[in-house]
Amino acid sequence: MSLYSVAAPGGGGGNLFLIPNATFFVELLIFLIVVGVIWRYVVPPVKRATAQRQEMVRRQIQESQQATKRLAEAEARYSAALAEARVEAAKIRESARADAQEIKDELREQAEHEVARIRERGAEQLATQREQVVRQLRGELGKLAVTLAGRIVGESVADDARRAGTVDRFLDELQGMAAPPSAPESVPQDNVAAQDRAVSQDSAAPEAGAPKNGTVKGAASVPHARRRR
Amino acid sequence: MIAHVLAEGGGGVSVGEHPQWHILGLTINADTVISTSIAAVIVLAFGLYLAAKATSKVPSTLQIAFEAVTEQVERQVETNVGIRTAPFVVPLAISLFFFILIANWISILPHATEEYVRPPTADVNLTFAMSVFVMIMVWATGIRVQGKHYFGHFVQPYKAMLPLNIIEELVKPVTLSLRLFGNILAGTVMVSVLALMPAAVSWLPTSAWKLFDLFIGMLQALIFALLTIIYFGMAAGGQEGEGAH
Repeated sequence: MSLYSVAAPGGGGGNLFLIPNATFFVELLIFLIVVGVIWRYVVPPVKRATAQRQEMVRRQIQESQQATKRLAEAEARYSAALAEARVEAAKIRESARADAQEIKDELREQAEHEVARIRERGAEQLATQREQVVRQLRGELGKLAVTLAGRIVGESVADDARRAGTVDRFLDELQGMAAPPSAPESVPQDNVAAQDRAVSQDSAAPEAGAPKNGTVKGAASVPHARRRR
Repeated sequence: MIAHVLAEGGGGVSVGEHPQWHILGLTINADTVISTSIAAVIVLAFGLYLAAKATSKVPSTLQIAFEAVTEQVERQVETNVGIRTAPFVVPLAISLFFFILIANWISILPHATEEYVRPPTADVNLTFAMSVFVMIMVWATGIRVQGKHYFGHFVQPYKAMLPLNIIEELVKPVTLSLRLFGNILAGTVMVSVLALMPAAVSWLPTSAWKLFDLFIGMLQALIFALLTIIYFGMAAGGQEGEGAH
């Protein structure tokens, strides 16, 4: 207080503190400086920062909303894909089952085919064997025929009736032997024909060989027998 | 009691006495100028620090406070005046608020008999300076925005109201300044009166009063800034339907 010259209170107790003095202008200057600095240098950067932050927040909210939307979409896509995959799996399972059935059927069919084939081959083999046997028999037949012929010739060449009876009996035997009950119709006939032919040839052979034995009558009797059949 | 003390004159309480400088025949209240400068330095230091540190990322508490005030002021200006009409009202009101707030709160430290730094707003010179500046700006804005129509409101609703309207307009700066001045001066007078008590007991009521004085200081700063905005609003287009916009 002692630093300043204290103003004496207005004379007569009238204090003039409500009347401004020259301090007014100094105060105005200081105030204007404050206003000017805040106006120019303080408010704009702060407002800019605020606006930027608001913009940032707005953008973040937007992005968050977009992300939420994308998430929902992805979830929807995921469940759709899942459902589709389930359907696909069911389809594949179904087709696999169908395939399995098909393969089973096919295998069964094949097996049946195989069985049929094997059975057929067996039958064929049987037929072949039978044919072989027949052929073999036929080969033996020639010998038998020669033997028979020799016997007949040797026994009695003179007796025509007996000779014819023997030959007929032999041929009947042959026929009965060549026709098995299960064989087809055509085969025995052919066989019979072939045997017939073979017999005639075989019987012709002794004819050729007859002169060696010195029997002429026998050679003449054979065509006769053929004629009778 | 106060009157008795005041009547004694040379006692403990003095009102409106300032240490003065006499320069070129001008009388200047030294304490007011010093405390105003301190308040201005504090406000500008905060403001410039804030401006330098202003970030769009995570704001400091100071920045949040400043942004809150700014937002409030902008909203008030928008509803009363329209920011487009008078964009400078926003920084003006912000400056007024913070400057008056700091000027009021500068007296937070009480001395035994008075403050270390007396609040400059307890001197009419500062409050008049601010209110006169504000009202000149208000009138200028009214004329700029409304043109000749601005003077029309002086004869509303009747021509006979002209003197009253003129008085109302002239009283605005006076009430604006004296409201602030009276509140803050009363605070300092209260401290002086409380100081008359023995120091052993005066600390309690003084502390309590100082807390309340802080509230008053903020309230008065708010009122000053708010009334400024309202006056701007009245001047810029208070009369609806006159086609000011």
